[in-house]
Amino acid sequence: MSLTAIGAAIAAFTGIGAGIGIGLATAKATDAVARQPEADGKIMKMLVLGCALAEATAIYGLVVAVMIIFLS
Amino acid sequence: MKELLTELLMEEKTCFRIPFGDGYIDVYKSVVMTWGVMLVLFALILFLTHGFKVHNISKRQAAVETFVIWLRGVTGGMLGEEGISYADYLATVLIFIAASNMVGLLGFTPATMDLNVTIALALMSIVLVEIAGMRKKGVKKWLKGFAEPMAIVAPMNILEIGIRPLSLCMRLFGNILGATVIMELIKFMVPVILPAILSLYFDIFDGAIQAYVFVFLTSLYIKEAVE
Repeated sequence: MSLTAIGAAIAAFTGIGAGIGIGLATAKATDAVARQPEADGKIMKMLVLGCALAEATAIYGLVVAVMIIFLS
Repeated sequence: MKELLTELLMEEKTCFRIPFGDGYIDVYKSVVMTWGVMLVLFALILFLTHGFKVHNISKRQAAVETFVIWLRGVTGGMLGEEGISYADYLATVLIFIAASNMVGLLGFTPATMDLNVTIALALMSIVLVEIAGMRKKGVKKWLKGFAEPMAIVAPMNILEIGIRPLSLCMRLFGNILGATVIMELIKFMVPVILPAILSLYFDIFDGAIQAYVFVFLTSLYIKEAVE
């Protein structure tokens, strides 16, 4: 059981990538809105899409972690 | 932790069985939950749309019309001019997924937490995308479209048919699973007040965002297919 827990913890490291990705996207979006406040609708749409794609990696990590806990 | 996950994922999924031939057809709980969501939505729609008039409209009709126009604007704006005829389907999917995600508020297990439901939704999306491409371009041009911009990327384009629905269904399933697990943990540790505040994020916000993302990605693929 202990080794499977470590495996699941390693799978949870995908959160690092997702966090950096979403942070970068949000930083750039904030910049963009500060420069062009009138384009915030389009920027918001792009931000949501980018965040969803970046977040997907973390979600795959979660699914893998759940599988590791279960299938062992 | 493992007991919680076991309880959430490995519980008996069958709600009831219909005798069929020699065996049974298992009807899953998630299917019954989608029926419930559909029933509530149908009742709401029938209530909201009865007795519409052309002149002297009621407040209810004005509100419904504004909402429908707004929703069409949201989905149609993502599709662009070419694919505007798919806007109503996407609005339907948006409402259905959002409602399915939010039944966690009432204490039920969301139907979208079952991988089978999200796989079905993702398959519907990818079939719609490919058929939209075929209708727009014709089968021959659609087949040629796989070899664009170069013949060497054709395997990648064919792989995308499988990867797109996989990523769509895994994203929805994983998000709802994660949100439900976290909510169950919080309910287990602090049973009062805190779950109410956090369910605003995990049930309402996350559910709505995931429904929006699902529809947004589908419309992006349709837009790409009909261009």
